[in-house]
Amino acid sequence: MHRKRLLLFLFILFAFGLMTYQANRQPILPFQFLAEPLHILFNLKESAWEFVTSPFRRMLIREEENRRLMDEIMKMREERQVWEETRRENEKLRALLALKERERHYVTSARVIARGTDQWSHTLVLDKGSADGIKKDMVAVTEQGLVGKIADVRESYASLLLVTDISFSAAARLQDGRTEGILSGTGSKMCQLKYIPYDEDVKPGGIVITSGLDSLFPAGIPLGHVAKVSRKESGLFQYIEVVPSVDNTKIEVVAIIGGA
Amino acid sequence: MRYLLWAVLGFLSLGIQGSISFFTVAPNLTVILACYAGIHGGEHKGLFYGSLVGMIEDSLSGALLGPGLLSKGLAGYLAAVLSGKLLVWTPFAGVVTLAALTIFDGFAVYLTRCLFHAKPSGIVAAAVAIMTQALLNLPFGIILKKKTKT
Repeated sequence: MHRKRLLLFLFILFAFGLMTYQANRQPILPFQFLAEPLHILFNLKESAWEFVTSPFRRMLIREEENRRLMDEIMKMREERQVWEETRRENEKLRALLALKERERHYVTSARVIARGTDQWSHTLVLDKGSADGIKKDMVAVTEQGLVGKIADVRESYASLLLVTDISFSAAARLQDGRTEGILSGTGSKMCQLKYIPYDEDVKPGGIVITSGLDSLFPAGIPLGHVAKVSRKESGLFQYIEVVPSVDNTKIEVVAIIGGA
Repeated sequence: MRYLLWAVLGFLSLGIQGSISFFTVAPNLTVILACYAGIHGGEHKGLFYGSLVGMIEDSLSGALLGPGLLSKGLAGYLAAVLSGKLLVWTPFAGVVTLAALTIFDGFAVYLTRCLFHAKPSGIVAAAVAIMTQALLNLPFGIILKKKTKT
């Protein structure tokens, strides 16, 4: 027991003596050579840690990059869509401007805001009305041809009767043969060119234009092209189906012009 | 073989101590080894192994040879005395002993450095660091099982 206490006492004395000795001198560092292998151990640990964590870190970076790129693609798609819409609008407005310059009786342009509520009639609702100079029976056209005529006008909107409506009729003429007839709507996608004599040579693809003889539509506006011609064994006239020049499912803006 | 194992353990403890930290406080694993040596090998081994580990730690710190040597040696010795005579050894006793000896070790190093070298940090910062080390060492107290004599 005494030996242990003596050893402890000597140990403390030695430690204090050692520290006192070094207080004003260079420190004695006998195991400093171990710093080198310790640093190697640290390096090994770092390398191992890097080896384990780097795939996950790379994965996270890739995921982040992927998310950023997806966001960028979405933004670019949106921009492209806006750009495409602007381009198309620009095209339409250019065509409308050309039409305005060409047509002597130009009144205004109007945007289609709705289809007619009656499912049997082929009508469109325009965003302009009598306040903008639109009157009943005025003509609606696009750069492709005749769209229809104004059937009803209110102060700020108007109702447009399309060429395909069953109650629509216009004096027409075959561009090639100059034969006159009446173009009527059928209530379907097609129109019918009536009163073309039986012996008249009409070929599919022939252009039909307004004749101006009804004092309603100015002459020379394209109405459509001949799709089908049939002659019955007896009768005075041919049965001619005409595809309208303007697809009424794609109309967005029309120009309103005064009558003939 | 046993000495080699002790050397490897000491080296690894120093390596781990130098590479991890909790809230900027490095753990004090070498004091656990010193206590383990004291509890399982008695006063002499505790004193010897503790002072050896402390001496290596001092050498690697590059400051002064002595603070670690004294504190770890005394921690090993005291662990042997406490486990052998004063305490009925239970896991709880192990936890308390290890925490107390970690605190003792930390303050002994701090004071001797203040006396013989230079003040390493403010007393409050030192106290916080030492208490954190003691907390980190707590779980190891449970596994510092005393060897049962057959």
